[in-house]
Amino acid sequence: MIMLDLCYTSLLRNRGYRLLTLLQCTTFHRHRGRVMSLQNLSPAFRDAAQYLSNATSLSQVSNAIKLELYGLYKFLTVSPTPNTSRPSLFDFTGRAKWDAWDKSDKTYGASSAQAEARYLEIARSLGWTESKVSAPPQDVQQTNEPHTVWDEELGLEVEREAREGSGMGNYVSVMARPELEDDKSLSGIAISGDAEGLKEFKRTHPSVSLNRLDENGYTPLHLACDRGHLAVVRLLLSEGADKDVKDADDMTAIELARFSGHDDIVQLLES
Amino acid sequence: MSASQKAKEKELAEHIESPPEDGEPDSSSEDEGPELEAAVGSALPEASTASTASKKKKKKRSKAVKALSALRGHKDGLPQDLVNVVLEKVRAEGGEAAAQANEETVRLALEHMKIKDVIQGKAGIGGKGKKDAGDHKFWSEQPVPQPGEGAPLGDGYIEPSKPPEEVRQDPYPLPKDFEWSTPDISDSAQLREVYELLSANYVEDDNASFRFQYSAEFLRWALMPPGYHRDWHIGVRVASNKKLVAFISAVPITLRVRDHVFRASEVNFLCVHKKLRSKRLAPVLIKEVTRQCHLKGIFQALYTAGVLLPTPVSTTRYYHRCMNIPKLVSVKFFPIPSNMTVARLARLYKVPDRPYLLDSGLREMEEKDIPQVAELFSRYMRRFGMVPVYTLEEMRHQFLSGLGEGPRDKNSWKSPREGQVIFSYVIEDPQTHKITDFFSFYSLPSTVMSSDKYNLLNAAYLYYYATDVAFQDGVEEDDRLKKRLEELLGDAVIIANACNFDVLNGLTLMDNALFLEDLKFGTGDGVLNYYLYNWRTAPLAGMRPIDGVPEGRGIGVVML
Repeated sequence: MIMLDLCYTSLLRNRGYRLLTLLQCTTFHRHRGRVMSLQNLSPAFRDAAQYLSNATSLSQVSNAIKLELYGLYKFLTVSPTPNTSRPSLFDFTGRAKWDAWDKSDKTYGASSAQAEARYLEIARSLGWTESKVSAPPQDVQQTNEPHTVWDEELGLEVEREAREGSGMGNYVSVMARPELEDDKSLSGIAISGDAEGLKEFKRTHPSVSLNRLDENGYTPLHLACDRGHLAVVRLLLSEGADKDVKDADDMTAIELARFSGHDDIVQLLES
Repeated sequence: MSASQKAKEKELAEHIESPPEDGEPDSSSEDEGPELEAAVGSALPEASTASTASKKKKKKRSKAVKALSALRGHKDGLPQDLVNVVLEKVRAEGGEAAAQANEETVRLALEHMKIKDVIQGKAGIGGKGKKDAGDHKFWSEQPVPQPGEGAPLGDGYIEPSKPPEEVRQDPYPLPKDFEWSTPDISDSAQLREVYELLSANYVEDDNASFRFQYSAEFLRWALMPPGYHRDWHIGVRVASNKKLVAFISAVPITLRVRDHVFRASEVNFLCVHKKLRSKRLAPVLIKEVTRQCHLKGIFQALYTAGVLLPTPVSTTRYYHRCMNIPKLVSVKFFPIPSNMTVARLARLYKVPDRPYLLDSGLREMEEKDIPQVAELFSRYMRRFGMVPVYTLEEMRHQFLSGLGEGPRDKNSWKSPREGQVIFSYVIEDPQTHKITDFFSFYSLPSTVMSSDKYNLLNAAYLYYYATDVAFQDGVEEDDRLKKRLEELLGDAVIIANACNFDVLNGLTLMDNALFLEDLKFGTGDGVLNYYLYNWRTAPLAGMRPIDGVPEGRGIGVVML
């Protein structure tokens, strides 16, 4: 279960919070003992936490949500309030995480049930369902196993979870990501590739035309083809979207898909 | 370590002749850069104290007092029972050597093992209580500016240089199963071991999407500058099978930091195998490379890191000039803004086919340009707070080695040569034949970890540049310099694009802030912190202006 904490750390880091210092990596060792309390939590929470630990949908959510999840997780699994002093102003990530944790306490106080409900609510919005119960977590037992394991490649005993950072933070910088807003407009749905959301939108807005250009000059089909969301493209076509509409740059959906290299969509549109 | 051992070590050290070292450059060499000669003599290093250094001194003093009291008796906090038990054991099992063991030596040994920290739960034994390079306890014992200390009262060293006989002569002990090794970078098989280690492990976490992929040519260029020391390429191998599992390196550099010029080492490529990140190898590697530098009479170092350690002298931010848009979007290097399509993005970032300055004397840098380029470079670099001071030989290495195999003619800007690491261009005035400008960039690709379509990101990084426009009168008041840099580095973008690079990266250093945005460099999510070891100076302007020094102008060193 230490893994889970680590995952949040890495996720936050992946979203532009790269200033993570190695100091923070040591945080969960301090918590190691207390994480055991996880076994007192509901199976639903454990399942949701496990689901989120490697959910790809997390990459689409804002830091605000991730921090909220982090705060709730710590609130529920470690202690109601952070057990360290508030990190310095320069430790952006540490401070943001500390604040998120603290906020959970301020919001939910003694009611861990409410906190858990909120955690599950976010988890559901990210694709978790209670039926997705996977193998029971083996977290607690694992601490009794020897923590080293023979590694064939190195010819050595190595740590079972050798995930400690030990480099100098030499990662490759990429373009900074803007904060993603939760855009429930038709264009937003097409961009995020949310097929279920699209169905829901059609049901609640039956009169909205699928072939209208948005303020940037694109139809939902243009955007789904550009982003490479095959399921949404298929759905849009079945709903009668016109594939010959040209965007503000005078390009059709198939041209956009071809330009972005989404061969599966090109094939679908050609057929 | 026992007292007798210490004495032995000292005895040993005294027998070793002091290495031939001379802080001054050889003035008879015609290769010296013009600035070096002028500056080295004038700036004798002096100690620097921070404005709150009294606190630190006190701490040091109290440490010494503690050590003394430990020698005398019981004030070290070690329980008497423990000392007695250990003493008994030592006497019972230690054989002859243990005959002299007494309470004091035991206390000293225990103190040395930091057993108190274990008792008090501050540290653990073996794998528990792991510490690493980011561990502030480690850094609190290093001669680096400590968190919370005020601005330095003057520039200078933190800890005085040691006479050769006081430098530790034995390598630091490694955990069992490991041994030191000095990979020979000039040997292709050993070089391969180094780049394979780096390529597979030189990254912070497993979730990263990209990992630097150093090539043999790159490492040869980076690790073997003039005057490099083989002893400064330090590896750790598994004792049983000799597999290389950790590495650190240093190369010599002459640095000017504000008004002081001194010899230093540029420490880079610290890497520990992913599976061994809990073995505390990084601090030992750092200590060992420091020791090796001390043995050569070098007591200052420069290093950079993405992580925040105590205490950056500057922080710079990465910027990226995206060029191959569909690929950069596909490998998730470049998120598509919500009001765009890839096609529109590509049109916005389209790069012209032909360099602007091609008809005004743009060509590849050649051997004959070196003296002029060196002159231009050292003059231009006066604009910045911390810069390398290169000899002609070093200039030659930096800009004219690692050029790859293949023809070098007027069309060579159109494609890279096989194995080309460094791309160096000059502008030769067509009338006067004077070199008026130069620019350079280097190739450092990354492995793409999470794409079915692409496995390599071809990235180029801006390196050094200079223009004589900066020397015109009143240039700081108008935008002549900005315009010239836009033309010059605009051509760097065009050539990098022609040479099939997907992206050209730059940092907020030198004069980059003048052109990054206009040349469509976008903000990166990474920062690079600059650190000085055993040298105190006030913060230098990196991603933010400091004390009237504009953004970037504090830093004139590009680290690979």
